[in-house]
Amino acid sequence: MTAFFDILIGGVFHAAVLFLVAAGLQLVFGVQKIVNLACGSFYALGAYFGITCVNWAIAGHSPQWLFLPVLIAAGIALGVIGPFIEALLRTIYDRDESFQLLLTFALVLIFQDVLRFFWGANPQQLGNLSMSYGKIEIGALSVPTYNALVIAASVMIATGIGAFLQRTRYGRILRATAENREMSEALGVNVRWVYACVFTLGTVLGTVGGALVVPTAAASLDMPVELVVEAFAVVVIGGLGSMRGALAGALIVGLMRAAAIVFYAELEILAIYLVVIVVLIARPAGLFGKAVE
Amino acid sequence: MDSTRRTLLKTIGGAGTALAAQPYLTFPAIAQNRPLRIGIIAPKSGIVGTIGECGLRGTQFAVDRINAAGGIAGRKVELIVEEETNPKDSLERLRKLVLQDKVDCVQGVVSSGVSLAMGPVAEEMKALLIFWDGTTQDGVKETMANPRYVFRSTDNECEAVMASLLAIKYWKGKFATIAGINPDYSYGRNNFAAFQALLKKFNVEFKVVADQWPKVGTLDLTSHVAALKAAKPDLVFSSLLFADLPVFMKTAHGAGLMDGGTKFAFPAAGFQHTLLKKEFTPEGMVFGHNTLYFDLANATPLQKQFVQEYETKYKDYPHWEADRAYFAMQVYRAGVEAAYKAKNAWPSTEDVINAMEGVKVESLGGPGQMRKDHIAEQTFYQGLTTHKNRYDFATLGQVDTMYSDQLQKPAGADFWKWIETAQIKL
Repeated sequence: MTAFFDILIGGVFHAAVLFLVAAGLQLVFGVQKIVNLACGSFYALGAYFGITCVNWAIAGHSPQWLFLPVLIAAGIALGVIGPFIEALLRTIYDRDESFQLLLTFALVLIFQDVLRFFWGANPQQLGNLSMSYGKIEIGALSVPTYNALVIAASVMIATGIGAFLQRTRYGRILRATAENREMSEALGVNVRWVYACVFTLGTVLGTVGGALVVPTAAASLDMPVELVVEAFAVVVIGGLGSMRGALAGALIVGLMRAAAIVFYAELEILAIYLVVIVVLIARPAGLFGKAVE
Repeated sequence: MDSTRRTLLKTIGGAGTALAAQPYLTFPAIAQNRPLRIGIIAPKSGIVGTIGECGLRGTQFAVDRINAAGGIAGRKVELIVEEETNPKDSLERLRKLVLQDKVDCVQGVVSSGVSLAMGPVAEEMKALLIFWDGTTQDGVKETMANPRYVFRSTDNECEAVMASLLAIKYWKGKFATIAGINPDYSYGRNNFAAFQALLKKFNVEFKVVADQWPKVGTLDLTSHVAALKAAKPDLVFSSLLFADLPVFMKTAHGAGLMDGGTKFAFPAAGFQHTLLKKEFTPEGMVFGHNTLYFDLANATPLQKQFVQEYETKYKDYPHWEADRAYFAMQVYRAGVEAAYKAKNAWPSTEDVINAMEGVKVESLGGPGQMRKDHIAEQTFYQGLTTHKNRYDFATLGQVDTMYSDQLQKPAGADFWKWIETAQIKL
């Protein structure tokens, strides 16, 4: 029972972080129809900036419980880059999709050098910060409190985005713009503003994900590419542009990976892509995606 | 007249420098026509960036000392540093160093993937190449049985062999189940296999209850740790060595893997020693510092000077890549100077190579030599960790020292057969 719980928590923790990045990717594609390869770079940027902000907090003798809010604030603050990048992407909205891929891939390379310039080439870590939050113990079961908080934060963000998209006026405007940009524009929606907001929200999801995960991991220049591959597996499984798909895809990838590691470690990576292949064959639009007629 | 006086003053100055340069030999100015160019290929970024950086600092320390002492056989040393990345691009940089920069020697390389590709090319180009840490083994099988221009470091498996021997020495009879978490490439797989082979050799009965193979750079190891914990091993053997190692230790500590008296053997942990904080690194684990243990009580004056300068300059403590880089430079220096002395003229590359075969040098971590088959022998340090020190990270309480002739196969031997038949002392 304890072992099963540990494995389950391991899978859900990985899924929680993956969901944030994949959700940003889905949101941007769903509304703007941009396949944003740079989502992994936002994740890395959040991780590096999170380390810097926590180090500032430590230098300012902040209490340890404050570090988690500091990390979330660091991720949100990075949203400031969203409108600038969206302005850059605006130049290719009406062009062939290959331009999107080229431009967002160029952003990946640019961000890699930006990270190198500000934080250096070596991986950065946050010492034992995550451990300072202790453990939650229920009988024989235990889980690091920090991991539980990250899972909780991810669930809250997922619920918040769901409520925002489904139950608010602005959410309806976003969905309407996603369905038919020209019609929304004709009805008076400021699509340019909507796009800037959506892209910024997508950016913040990635940066918050990176900032939240870094106390349990490390920030490295390789992390954007590492994550973006898994994020795209999530998107393929869940269906491009679907938030429910991002949630389901992240859980499937996280739990499949955890199960593979336990039962046959050699299949850790293969297991995920077997699911991707099965989904592509059986349901090409993904579990929650809309089939293209 | 002025010119003559200036030349005379230069000669006197040069002689003074050379005289001050003990224990280096002195050489006439005839050889000092241009600096010796040495190309360095080392990673400066990514997950192995810290390794390359430490190696570059070891090289710089060696070159500063050599130049302060008048150079190699009277010629100052000039470094040309190129970045080690993937094999294809690193090969292009090797060609650039040899063909365009016309370097006298190339040193460096951390990744075995790069060194495996680079070795045959260097042979073809007849370029003298001394690897810091890269090997020319495919798995544990030597791919360049009789290299002429390529010299390499000790076998990668030396670290695992020593950690295995220490685990047996300290814990034989105290464990029955083992688990491994090792990087998913030949280094990690060979190390875990070597550990098991040595357990069999020393008649230790064991059962492998888990083996994890995260790919290098995996920074979320929560599920791997959960799998290890579920298997309840008595001993965990891990060759993790890059940024993933501190992440593993933190995750393992957080998950309670270290709570139940589990034993840990980490042959390559020294690469990350300053990041392995006391809070999550247990005492009493087998910990490999390999060819340089920075806090060695009876270290040589050379090591003490290096560690002190390193701490002052970089606010950090060096690991064994600095030693490998220093060793490579000293082997080259010793080879050039021996060849020069024998010939009494500037030696050719072939003369230098002949002189390097069998040469003995004092490296940062202790004595070492270059075998006739172009494979290094060096002094290794591992031991059991302690928290009783002035640092915020674990160091060695019990230090064990072994020379690599007890840890690596002799020239031409098969690694697995050597393990079976070698007279290895615990």
